[in-house]
Amino acid sequence: MKKESTLKTILGVWNTKTVIAMAIGAALFGVLMNFGGITIFTNTKLTTAMIIPVIVGSMFGPVPALVTCTVGNTIADLIGGWGFWFDWSIGNGVLGFIVGLLPLYGAKINDGIFKLRHAVIYVIACVIGNAFAFGVVTPILTTVFYGGELNVTFVQSLTGGIANVLVLTVIGIPILFALAKRNARNTNLTLDK
Amino acid sequence: MKKPIIEFKDFGFQYKSQREATLHNINLTVYEGEKVLILGPSGSGKSTLANCINGLNPFSYEGKITGSLKIAGMETKDASIFAISKNVGTVLQDSDAQFVGLSVGEDIAFALENESVPRQKMIPKVLKASKIVEMEKYLLHVPYELSGGQKQKVSLAGVIHDEVRLLIFDEPLAALDPKTGMYAVDLIDRIHRESNKTVLIIEHRLEDVLYRHVDRIVLMNEGNIVFDDVPDKLLVSGLLSRYGIREPLYITALRYAGCELTEDTGIADVYHMNLEPYREKLLEKEKMKVERYEQEPGEEILRVSEVSFAYGREEVLKNVSFTIRKGEKVSVVGKNGAGKSTMAKLLSGIHRPAKGNIYIKGEDYRNYSIKEIGERIGYVMQNPNQMIVKDIIREEVELALILRGKSREEMDDKVKKTLQMCGLYGMRNWPVSAVSYGQKKRITIASMLVLEPEIIILDEPTAGQDYYHYTEIMNFLDDLNRKYGITILFITHDMHLAIEYTDRAIVFSEGELVADSPVYKVLSDDKVIEKANLKQTSLYELAHRIGSDPENYIEQFIAYERMIKENGRSTAD
Amino acid sequence: MAGQLLINLIPGETTLHKLTGTTKVRFFIVLLVFIIMSFDIRLLLPLCILGIVGLLSMKPNWKVIKYFFIITGVMNLINIFLFWLVDPDCGAIWCGGGSTVLYQFSGRFIITAESIWYLSVRFLKMMTSLVISMVFILSITPSEIAAGLYSIKVPYKICTIFSMAFRYIPDIARDFDNIKISMQVRGVELDSKKASFMTRIKQYVLILVPLIISSFDRVGNIANAMDLRGYGKGKTRTYYSEREEQKADKAAKILYCGLFLFCIYWIITKNIMPQPSKMWYPFS
Repeated sequence: MKKESTLKTILGVWNTKTVIAMAIGAALFGVLMNFGGITIFTNTKLTTAMIIPVIVGSMFGPVPALVTCTVGNTIADLIGGWGFWFDWSIGNGVLGFIVGLLPLYGAKINDGIFKLRHAVIYVIACVIGNAFAFGVVTPILTTVFYGGELNVTFVQSLTGGIANVLVLTVIGIPILFALAKRNARNTNLTLDK
Repeated sequence: MKKPIIEFKDFGFQYKSQREATLHNINLTVYEGEKVLILGPSGSGKSTLANCINGLNPFSYEGKITGSLKIAGMETKDASIFAISKNVGTVLQDSDAQFVGLSVGEDIAFALENESVPRQKMIPKVLKASKIVEMEKYLLHVPYELSGGQKQKVSLAGVIHDEVRLLIFDEPLAALDPKTGMYAVDLIDRIHRESNKTVLIIEHRLEDVLYRHVDRIVLMNEGNIVFDDVPDKLLVSGLLSRYGIREPLYITALRYAGCELTEDTGIADVYHMNLEPYREKLLEKEKMKVERYEQEPGEEILRVSEVSFAYGREEVLKNVSFTIRKGEKVSVVGKNGAGKSTMAKLLSGIHRPAKGNIYIKGEDYRNYSIKEIGERIGYVMQNPNQMIVKDIIREEVELALILRGKSREEMDDKVKKTLQMCGLYGMRNWPVSAVSYGQKKRITIASMLVLEPEIIILDEPTAGQDYYHYTEIMNFLDDLNRKYGITILFITHDMHLAIEYTDRAIVFSEGELVADSPVYKVLSDDKVIEKANLKQTSLYELAHRIGSDPENYIEQFIAYERMIKENGRSTAD
Repeated sequence: MAGQLLINLIPGETTLHKLTGTTKVRFFIVLLVFIIMSFDIRLLLPLCILGIVGLLSMKPNWKVIKYFFIITGVMNLINIFLFWLVDPDCGAIWCGGGSTVLYQFSGRFIITAESIWYLSVRFLKMMTSLVISMVFILSITPSEIAAGLYSIKVPYKICTIFSMAFRYIPDIARDFDNIKISMQVRGVELDSKKASFMTRIKQYVLILVPLIISSFDRVGNIANAMDLRGYGKGKTRTYYSEREEQKADKAAKILYCGLFLFCIYWIITKNIMPQPSKMWYPFS
C-alpha cells in the first residue's frame, strides 16, 4: 500500500490537467531560457529556467518535472536555434527529476506546505542533483557523444551546475515560500483595527 | 410533440471541496430546438449548472450528485464526459484557453483527432464547420493573428459537429467589444435557426443577449431557479434588480419615466416593442429639468501632443493629441487593436513616442525613467494575478516604497493612508489568497496609489465581472475620484461603464483619435460609433423611436442617473 | 512575439517543408545518431555540405540565421581552444599515438598535426550538428513534431506537451514582458549598471512569482476545454497537420532506413569493436 503510493507520487497522475501543466511548464522553461536571463556581464547570462521543474515537481511529482525539463530544454533549443545538445538535455532532465522530488519529502506547494525543514532538504537535493547531473551524467555523455576532453567538459558542465545551484537556491527558495503561502488555506481571519 | 433534451429532476450538486451544495432541488426541462438563457449573478450556480450538463461536473470537479439529470434520455450519473460530449458542445468563456490548436484548422479538428478520424475524412468536416462560422479563409492562421471574436467563432466551429444536438455558450460576451458581442449574439441566433440545435446561453449581460430573440429565461440565485418563463415576463417582474442583474437601459429609462410596464407590449425587443402606452410619459419626462452635470476644470496634468508610434513598420498611433485635467474621469474606448493599449504603454513610459511628446504637469516626460514615470502615472493591469507578488496585503502595497528605499516611518505613514483610502486597512495583515477578485483589484490599485501618482490608468477594470462586482469595483473607483481627487483613465470597451462613471470619452480607431468629447455626444454620433466598433445603446433606439433627439436624450438620462446615485430617487424627481 | 521564434507554426512551401512530420522526425533522429557515432571527416563533411544545401533550398531568412552560426561558431572555437590549452597533445590518443610537432611556443604548448586534425574534426562535428538541427527546426512545425514523435510510438500525451507548449509560448512571453514592465514601474531595477548582481537576482523573484502563478492559472481552463472535446478518450489519435505520404516521403524512407542500417553497422564495427586508432587519420 505504502509502496504503491510512493510510486504514484513519483510518477504523478497523468490526466489532462497534468499534461497541460507540463506543457505550460515547458513553455515557461523555453521562454525563460531564451528571454529570462539575468545579465552577469555583457553577454553572459544566468538562466532562471531551472526554477520551473522545481515548481512542476512540487505540484505534480518528479517524473512530470523530468518530462517538463527535458521537453522544455528541447523546445528552448528549437526556438533559440542553438542546435540540439542531448548531453545537456539529459543532464537537465536528471536534475529536473532530483529537484522535483519535493512531494516525496512532504513539501506540498499546492496545499501550502513548505517549511524550513523542506528548504534544507531541497538545498541538499539541489547540490546533489547538480553534482550528479553535471558532474557525472553530462560529462560522460559529452565524451561519448561528441568525444571531448573529459577535464574541459567536466569544468564546463560543473560551471553550469554551480550557476544552477545559485539560481535554484537564491531565487528558488523565496519563490517556493511565496507560492506555498499563496496556496495556504486561511482560517480565522479577523479585521484589525 | 416536443421532445425533452435536458431533464433535471430534483437535482442537486455539491462540490467535494465545499461544505454546502451549490445546486439545490433543480427541476428544469429544456426541449429540443429551444433557445434558453440562463441568467444569474456570479455564485448563483449558473456555471455549475452548465458544467453538470456538459459533464465537467463531476469529471473534472469532483462532487456529489443527487436526483436525476438526463441529457437526450441518457442519465448523466452513469455516463462519461466523452459520451456526453457527443451530444453536447460547449463554448467556454475563455476563448483564448479554449484555442488548443496551433492553427485555426487544427483547432477545429481537435475533437476529430481525439476520435482518431483519418485525415482525409477530417478535412471536409473541418471545412464545413469553418464555413458555418465564416472562418473558412482563416484555416491556416495562427491564434495570435485572430481577434477575440474570431477565436470564439473557431471555438464554436470546434464543437459544432453533426451529432451535437445541444450547444452551450458559457458567458460568450465576456471578452468581446460591444459590436463583436452583437455579432456573436447574431451568429448564435443564426445557427440556432438554421441547424435547429438546442441552444443554452449562460450570461449576465441581459441587454446584449436580448438583441436577438430567446425563447425562455431561467433566472438563478444561490443555487435555485427563481424564475423560468418568457423574457417579457421577467422584464416587468422587478426580479432583476432584486437578484443583482442589470436591467436593459431602455427598461431603466421607462421606469424613470414612471411607466407602468406590461408584458403584452413585446417589451423584450426594443426595436419592435409597442411604445404607444409609454410614449406620453417618456416625452413628459424628457421635458423635466435636470441639473446638467458640469465639471470644474482642474489644472492640466497630462498633455499628449501629436504623438505617433509604430511597432516596426506598422504604425499603431497616428498624430494623437489630448489633455487630461486634474480630477477627471475619462474613458479610452475603441475596438481591439485600435491603439488604446499602446496609448497606455506610451503613457506609462514603457514605449516612448516616435514623434510628438508627452508632458506631465508641463514637464517633458522624456526626462523621466520608467520608474520615475511610475511615481506620476500608475498603470494597473487587467489581471491582478499578473501584478501581485507578496502574500500579505500590507507587504504588497509597500513594495514600491521598499524598492525606492524609503524610510520605515515614511513608508508606514503612506501605506496606512493608502490602505485606508482603499478600504483595506482592516485587512492589512491578511494573506492575498484569502480575498476576492474585487479586493485583489483594490490591492493592485493601492500598490500604485501608494506612490501618490497624478493619474492612474486602469486596463479593463471590470473585465469578466458580474453586475454586483462591477458595481462594487466602480463605486470604489468613483469614491477615490470624489473623495481624494484621484484622476482616473479607464481603458475599456464597456459602454455602460463609460456612461455611468466617466465624463469624457477618448475614442480610438485604427490608431487615430476619432473623438474626444462628453460620453453622451460620443454615443449619439453614428460615425464615431461605426468607426470604433461601439454599439448604439438601447437608449439611442428608444429616443429615436419616440422622436427625440438622441444626444439630448442620453445626456438627460445620464444626468438623471447620476442624481439618483448621489441623492436617491425621491430627491431626484 | 510569434515572429521572434525560429520555428514556423504554419508549414512552408519548399520540398523539405512539404515532407510529413513522420519523415522529418525519423530522418532527424537517424541523422543525429549518424553525427554522434562518427568522428570521421569522410562521414561528417558530406553530411555538412548536404545540410547546407538543404538549408539553402528552404530559402531561409539569412539575417536571423547568420547570428546563430556566428555565436555557435565562436563558442565552439573557444571550446576547442580550451581543449588545446588543457592538453596541447590531445590529438595523439585520437590519431593512433603519434605527435608531429609543427610549432612549439614554449615547454608543453606545442601545435601538433594530430591535434589540429582532431580539433578540426570536432569543430566540424559540432557545426554539422548545428546545420542539421537548423534544417530540422526550419522545416518543421510543432504539430508535425507531435505527429512525428507519435509515429515512433511516443505516447500521445507527451506529444501533446510539445505542441501545447508551443501554443502557449507567445502568450507566456507576452505576459512575461508585461509583468517585467509592471514591476519596473513599481521600482524593480534590472539594469546591470544601476543595481548589483545579487540585488537583481533577488528582485527577479518579484517577476517570477506572478509569472508562474498567472501561467499555471490557465491550466484548469485549457484542460476543461480539451476534456470537453474528448481528449484522452481513446488509446490512439490522428493528426490534422500530418499530411499523406508523397513520393518524396517514400524516397526519404528508403534513405533513412538505409542510413539507419549503416549506422548500426558502423557502431558495431567501428565504435564497439576495438580499433587501432580512435579516429580516421590519413597522414599517420
